[in-house]
Amino acid sequence: MAERRTIHVGAIARVEGEGALHITVENGRVEDLRLEIYEPPRFFESFLRGRAAAEVPDLVARICGICPVAYQMSSVHALEAVFGVETHASIRALRRLYYAGEWMESHLLHMTFLAAPDYLGLEDGIEVARRHRPAVERALRLRKLGNRILILLGGRSVNPVGVRIGGFHHIPTRGELEDLGEELRRARGEAESLLRWFASLPVPSRPRPVELVALRHPDEYPMNEGRLVSNRGLDVPVAEFDAAFEEFQVEHSTALHCGVRGRGAYQTGPLARVLLNTDRLSPAAAAARESLADRFEQPDPASSVFARGIEVLQAMDEALAVIDQFEPPPSPAPDVTPRAGEALWATEAPRGVLVVGVETDAAGHVAAIRIVPPTSQNQSQIEADLRELAPQALARGREEARRLCEAAIRDYDPCISCATHFLRLEVEERGEPCASS
Amino acid sequence: MRVVVIGVGTAHGDDGIGAAVAERLAREGVPAHVRVLAVARPVPDVLDALEGAEAAVLVDATQSGRTPGTVWQPDPAAPRPDRVASSHALGVAEALALAQALGRTPRRLALVGIEAERHGGDTPSAAAQHALPEAVAAVRRVLEGWSAAEGEHARA
Repeated sequence: MAERRTIHVGAIARVEGEGALHITVENGRVEDLRLEIYEPPRFFESFLRGRAAAEVPDLVARICGICPVAYQMSSVHALEAVFGVETHASIRALRRLYYAGEWMESHLLHMTFLAAPDYLGLEDGIEVARRHRPAVERALRLRKLGNRILILLGGRSVNPVGVRIGGFHHIPTRGELEDLGEELRRARGEAESLLRWFASLPVPSRPRPVELVALRHPDEYPMNEGRLVSNRGLDVPVAEFDAAFEEFQVEHSTALHCGVRGRGAYQTGPLARVLLNTDRLSPAAAAARESLADRFEQPDPASSVFARGIEVLQAMDEALAVIDQFEPPPSPAPDVTPRAGEALWATEAPRGVLVVGVETDAAGHVAAIRIVPPTSQNQSQIEADLRELAPQALARGREEARRLCEAAIRDYDPCISCATHFLRLEVEERGEPCASS
Repeated sequence: MRVVVIGVGTAHGDDGIGAAVAERLAREGVPAHVRVLAVARPVPDVLDALEGAEAAVLVDATQSGRTPGTVWQPDPAAPRPDRVASSHALGVAEALALAQALGRTPRRLALVGIEAERHGGDTPSAAAQHALPEAVAAVRRVLEGWSAAEGEHARA
């Protein structure tokens, strides 16, 4: 007798945005599996058209309340590539500091409030706080430092407005940076303790033969630039993104899927970054990775939480390096002469590679913009993981299956709100075209 | 008694009304023991603001189905929504639950809500702006009530 079982999670909890999961298993085989992203499209790519380039950094910051810096950084670098802007070395360094702040904030939020309840079998982050107060206090203190970095360079932590083409609107003083540096130095031990606490939790192990994709820079841990590389030999400049990857639409998602051409699903994000850039980690982050070596022997999406913890350390070390070597730039930003052109750029958002393609007209207005967020890219891999997990998860009862599947999705820290800003509208014209005036 | 008034919200339509109330209060002046703050996000900003406070008034825009511009006082002890769907949605209720879990709940706590009309736009709606003086007065009444109670407590 055919046994048919379904898991339907109407609204996935503790992810950013609105998504659902539908799985049908028949005789132990997954017949149907859909990570349904039904959050309405947000039209960012459409309403940015016609806007002056200078407005773009503020507008794209509105895409996400958790990772605005990523959208600002990918867009502003793409626009600088179009306009031929040479950024000063100090600006380049401050942008690493700015990104480090966002990595800290985003990773600590995910680890403590979204992921930890899974490992502890608790309902939510508030329960975690009740029972594991020192760890949560620690995460909040560290997160506050990330917040401070965002305010220092972005003017405010929500929808920051400090970035402009070529630099920033305001450069912090040496004194402000030194104060921040002192606090970061004091807090580094806390980041190590927090990671040790996570390492003591029963984090599941789900190794998978997954293709990992991240940026790689000749001598830095990747943030604002690099080539696209993978553990299966991919190594291309970002400009060749479309030759190496393909975006495609599936019926059940308002976010485009993405795959490596000829191979398909892949994973981007902290796990990919750590595994593909181990030799670029700071000594403290490298030591932390070494202490968790058994969790990184094979790609395992469930180990992403450790990768996030390692990257919190990395971000703090990056921030300290920038502060210690700070030389004020000659001006917050150089004069920029807009011109027509196009460019594709990628930076490393907390959740992975974020590609922005932009085309401008001669006046420097946006003629077209394309945004490929990490969550869109991870959708196919999330579905592949769930297809593997579903039969064994269902053997443990429906409620447990739901819990396991949700946790597997959360390993990717998907930001659905970020992913759903795309809608392609195709108009078929029939009969006589309308008379134009 | 260390008192903090926290206006919550971002500069995004009616969401900014809590911060606008805080700004008005600060401009008009408050007693020396009262600190007035405007913060963008309930978590972690409200949590930080509550640290060390013995009494707190939180002012925020609400969506409760009331007429836009209505000023009301939600019950801080009311149960929070069942599950936190996403960290984009860690609201005041979650921040207060977290504060309680972390032992940061002040001895006295009051909420002042201003019912929102719309989320978008650069400035608060006419309804919310119209409610601003009433919200400021509501905060002052709470503060005066606490002062009186503390005074009686001291005399007793």
